[in-house]
Amino acid sequence: MSSSALACFAGATTARRILLRPRWPTILPGTPSVAAPCRSSSACATRSIIITSQQCDLLPRPRQRQCEQQAIFFTPNRSYHSHDHPPPPGPFTHAEQNLLSAAYVHVPSHGFSQEALALGARDTGLLDISPSILPDGVFSLIRWHLYTQRTLLAAKAKDAVDQTAAVTVGDKVEALAWLRLRGNEAVVGRWQEALAIMAQPSYVPASLKELASLADEILYLAGDVSVDPSWYTKRASLSAIYAAAELFQTTDQSPKFRETRAFLRRRLDEAAQAGGALRSVGEWVGFNASAAVNVLRSKGVRI
Amino acid sequence: MAARTALRRALPYLRSAVTNPGQQLRHTRSLSTTLPYLTPNVSSSTSSSSSAPPEYAIPDPSRPTHFGFETVTEGEKRERVAGVFTSVAESYDRMNDLMSFGWHRVWKDHFVASLNPGFSPLTPGPDPRGPQHILDIAGGTGDIAFRLLHTAHVVNANPSVRVTISDINRAMLTVGKQRSASLPASQQAALTFVEANAEDLTKTRPLHPYPSASEPTSHDAQGKEEQAFFDPATATAEIPDSSVDLYTVAFGIRNFSNIPAALREAHRVLKPGGVFACLEFSKADKHPLFNALYKEWSFRAIPLIGQLVAADRDSYQYLVESIERFPSQEEFRDMIVDAGFVVAGQGFEDLTGGVAAIHKGMKPRA
Repeated sequence: MSSSALACFAGATTARRILLRPRWPTILPGTPSVAAPCRSSSACATRSIIITSQQCDLLPRPRQRQCEQQAIFFTPNRSYHSHDHPPPPGPFTHAEQNLLSAAYVHVPSHGFSQEALALGARDTGLLDISPSILPDGVFSLIRWHLYTQRTLLAAKAKDAVDQTAAVTVGDKVEALAWLRLRGNEAVVGRWQEALAIMAQPSYVPASLKELASLADEILYLAGDVSVDPSWYTKRASLSAIYAAAELFQTTDQSPKFRETRAFLRRRLDEAAQAGGALRSVGEWVGFNASAAVNVLRSKGVRI
Repeated sequence: MAARTALRRALPYLRSAVTNPGQQLRHTRSLSTTLPYLTPNVSSSTSSSSSAPPEYAIPDPSRPTHFGFETVTEGEKRERVAGVFTSVAESYDRMNDLMSFGWHRVWKDHFVASLNPGFSPLTPGPDPRGPQHILDIAGGTGDIAFRLLHTAHVVNANPSVRVTISDINRAMLTVGKQRSASLPASQQAALTFVEANAEDLTKTRPLHPYPSASEPTSHDAQGKEEQAFFDPATATAEIPDSSVDLYTVAFGIRNFSNIPAALREAHRVLKPGGVFACLEFSKADKHPLFNALYKEWSFRAIPLIGQLVAADRDSYQYLVESIERFPSQEEFRDMIVDAGFVVAGQGFEDLTGGVAAIHKGMKPRA
């Protein structure tokens, strides 16, 4: 977010260069990188920005693990979408990915809990104690859900938008937000527990960051290219609407979450109306202010 | 009383180091052998395959290493660390409270809670892989082991968990053994005390009673005077490969003569999926103002407190110097990865702004 913000203020030229390129292909996972893979661990460290963990597979076996670790440790957590670089490898190491993806299978029956983590570890042939290496315990499992659903969005986005025949950015945003909400279907019975854990003070910053990333992802995939203060207001309002819709979804009993969809649409319409009203008021105030200045100037006031 | 006799035993080493400064400089090779990241050809040594340990990870009593700010051989460090801990054994817990304002208890509680030992999902029938076995290295006075046992037996209601407390120093282990007498009988039954050098866990022996105050020296079977630290020649048992679920070391690994060797030994004894967990002092460099205050406290106040309370300034001077010499969070994390462990996230968790840090690693499935 901060980098995008910088891009905004650095001038419209730079911002346009970042934002106005073809949108779809670059965000897809597994995009090959432009640079050759690193040959040694020190080369990995210095050129870390372009390493993905997949590239480490090309190294001789003893160096692979170290390379993979460093690919994660040294890659700066880029918070904007780039057309020139592959997406960063994500916050999870290989060991974490194995543990969490196995544990995620047990979430619908055991919730976001130590049980799910331990059962997942057993499934992968590890021990009950193995999940204790996870830095945040069960919150890591919640973050795994948030992260995987968010990154899946890019791959599924094109189909979803085409299906709904969405044309405007607003329609695409609605289609994508709905797509993301449907990603919660498998775990929706346990999502209130997860929200409770996410609301614990030490996890609030990470949860909010994940929400901001999701709003950014949705607007980017919808093709929003605003380079003015509305960049912020759009993301803030979408974050609020998405969080509200998710909360609504946890108690929604309607088939295929029809009520949630209606709720989402109403909120987005309201936001659009509020935005329109605000713009109209601004326009009116601006017009009258300049008119008043001109009247005063005609009376000889030196303004 | 025992502490005094032990101090007398440790003093010749300390005194010779002071009166004979030339001794410190007799090394000829690079002195960073226990800390591989300092060697200039680090890339060549880390690239060797993980099955054969690199040269720096093989214990060598004649190789130079750190003792506080001094440079000594690995063998000498072992003896001098033994001297330090023999002399502080009895006042160890009281001193910890004074030095850290009691905060070390919070760190230790958090460390054990984050490991959650003994947790087992509710499944029909017992776990086919047998009960958990925890190895607490450098566990001396039992601080961590008793907490682990409490969490496993009481909080997680899993009385099958066993804990082995290992220490190279008999004086510290004896203190732990005495303290364990106040535990419930079921927890006492799950405890084992062994003497071992963490760099070579193939040689261990059950705790021999340490000479009491009334009997300051003891003699082994051959009639020789016994050392305060474990002698591998007297070993009777071993810790086999892949036999441990959780390996913990709290405020101990700093004192090891050869840290890479100890990490590789941890990798050997752990089962696949087993967890290496280390609680150790670390660097608070990220907060310069706090760090300045902390350094002031540790270099001025702690040796003074040691002098006043434990009548032993040198041991506590060593303590703060060894903290200063210990690698940073990232360097130590890389050493853990180098020994064959995998880590999650950044691989460590800072406590109190980095004054201490928890490092965890998992032995991957082969």
